[in-house]
Amino acid sequence: MSDIFELAAKSVLEQDADLAMEQVKKHLDSGESPMILMEQGFIPGINKVGELFSAGKLFLPELMMAADVMSQASEKLMGALPPGSKSENADIIITAATVKGDIHDIGKGIGIAMFRANGFTVYDMGRDRANEDIIDDAVKHNSNFIATSALLTTTLGEQKQLEEMLKKAGLKGKIKTMVAGAPVTPRWASRIGADIYAENAHEGVVGIKKAMAAA
Amino acid sequence: MSNIVTRMGDGSMLEMSEKELREDIEAGIEEAVDKGGVPPLTQDEIEYLVELFKRKERIVGVEMGNEVILTYDAATLKIKRHSLFEDRVNSLAIYERLLGADTTELCHVDYSYKMLKPIVSYEAGTLEQALSVTHAPMFYGAMPNLGLYTQPDGPFPNPMELLPQGKIKEGRAAYDEMVASAVEDIVFIAETMWEAGADGINLDTVGASGDPDFKASLLAVEKLTAKYPEMAIEMGMAGEFVLGMHGEMYHDDQRLAGLYPTEQLKLAEKAGVAIFGPVVNTNNTESTPWNLARTIALIKPCSEAATIPVHANMGMGVGAVPVTDYPPVDIVSRVSKAMVELCRLDGL
Repeated sequence: MSDIFELAAKSVLEQDADLAMEQVKKHLDSGESPMILMEQGFIPGINKVGELFSAGKLFLPELMMAADVMSQASEKLMGALPPGSKSENADIIITAATVKGDIHDIGKGIGIAMFRANGFTVYDMGRDRANEDIIDDAVKHNSNFIATSALLTTTLGEQKQLEEMLKKAGLKGKIKTMVAGAPVTPRWASRIGADIYAENAHEGVVGIKKAMAAA
Repeated sequence: MSNIVTRMGDGSMLEMSEKELREDIEAGIEEAVDKGGVPPLTQDEIEYLVELFKRKERIVGVEMGNEVILTYDAATLKIKRHSLFEDRVNSLAIYERLLGADTTELCHVDYSYKMLKPIVSYEAGTLEQALSVTHAPMFYGAMPNLGLYTQPDGPFPNPMELLPQGKIKEGRAAYDEMVASAVEDIVFIAETMWEAGADGINLDTVGASGDPDFKASLLAVEKLTAKYPEMAIEMGMAGEFVLGMHGEMYHDDQRLAGLYPTEQLKLAEKAGVAIFGPVVNTNNTESTPWNLARTIALIKPCSEAATIPVHANMGMGVGAVPVTDYPPVDIVSRVSKAMVELCRLDGL
């Protein structure tokens, strides 16, 4: 890895926005494609942040700051792309929501920050959203994935209902589902037929990449 | 052949072969070694666990003479939780005389120091009554529960709203203010109940709101033991791992976020805690052998390093006990026996 890629990754790991923007400027001045710095510098950096968060070596405020550094760098680099070009992962489209009856959205926010940091296209429907609306949004945006978060045992059932509604609409399999949230377990995901279980944002990114690779 | 009957962490029954049993024990140890940086269990200890789970008896126990102290936290809540409408004084007598409690704990249903401020004089009266009809040492206990200090339940801005907006500095400042306020409340309640005759004070579920919760508890213990060197303070943790909600909170130059039981114990000891209650949360999607092996691997070094009594938390959802309202006796007795014999605990 060249110095500039290492420094870009380091800037995300150390949540140093100034260092990140220095690398962005240097890279753009060199005339190289903006995507190279994203893919070889910033994305490995944010993925390392995700790994450390999963391992309990880095914590929520640092994760949020790292995502913010990533977002600033990404905005600048994407803005420098020639018209019509896009990130390598931009075709991975996700509709994300917290399920009906549930107003918790911190976990969903972290997940979305990580998805966007990896270049995925995310439509954030917010919280307390009915399954009908979530499916309509996924169809409208041609989403590959629906990611739902449920933070209460009383709202978990919405994830099951979503699976049933997708089957009924003939969309099961065409749109893959990811379930997350404090009471959600791999066993629950398997019982309701969800395609991906994510214990945290990093696992969500890994799950989506695996599902895309298998498709 | 699948002939070993045990359970999942959610209490459901499970049959395993000896090979599967060994694999789960080894995987549980590996998880503890990876995450907690603790040494693995020895081959003898693994064999002990295999034999324990192979035993056919419904209930197992320690040999006579090796019994340990049974300390009950939040005792007066648990009777009501099972829809037994006994008053609190009678509940404590039931624990002492029918359930073998060596210590008891009076607590209020809100179980948070902040909530006790307006009613503490009534709590002192109930404590006096309870002390007059029981013999066992009696703690008064509650949780630091820093979650109650943020809007809309408390006066401070809510870091869980600030952090997602990128307001990290403001979120951390709110935590700092919450810590100061919580310390005042814990000290006020503990002093009042100690003066009223409590034999000890319990800070329960410490760290439930992450590193600020642990910080407030350590500071409160330091203040209390400076004023009352005789005060017996028990500190029971919320989990095996201190969550980094602030992330940059330190105590005695030690970063609190990410600490596992042995490091938690060292800070608690230094602050003046008299009894430490380490906690390892039960993973309900793994088997009991997996959970128990992981729990022992995490708590054994803590117990070995301790210079104060260690009473591990062994109840619903912690210490490899399944997450069920009525923890099954086959598992409760097995995990209790193993924890006492392998971790050399002083109490449960």
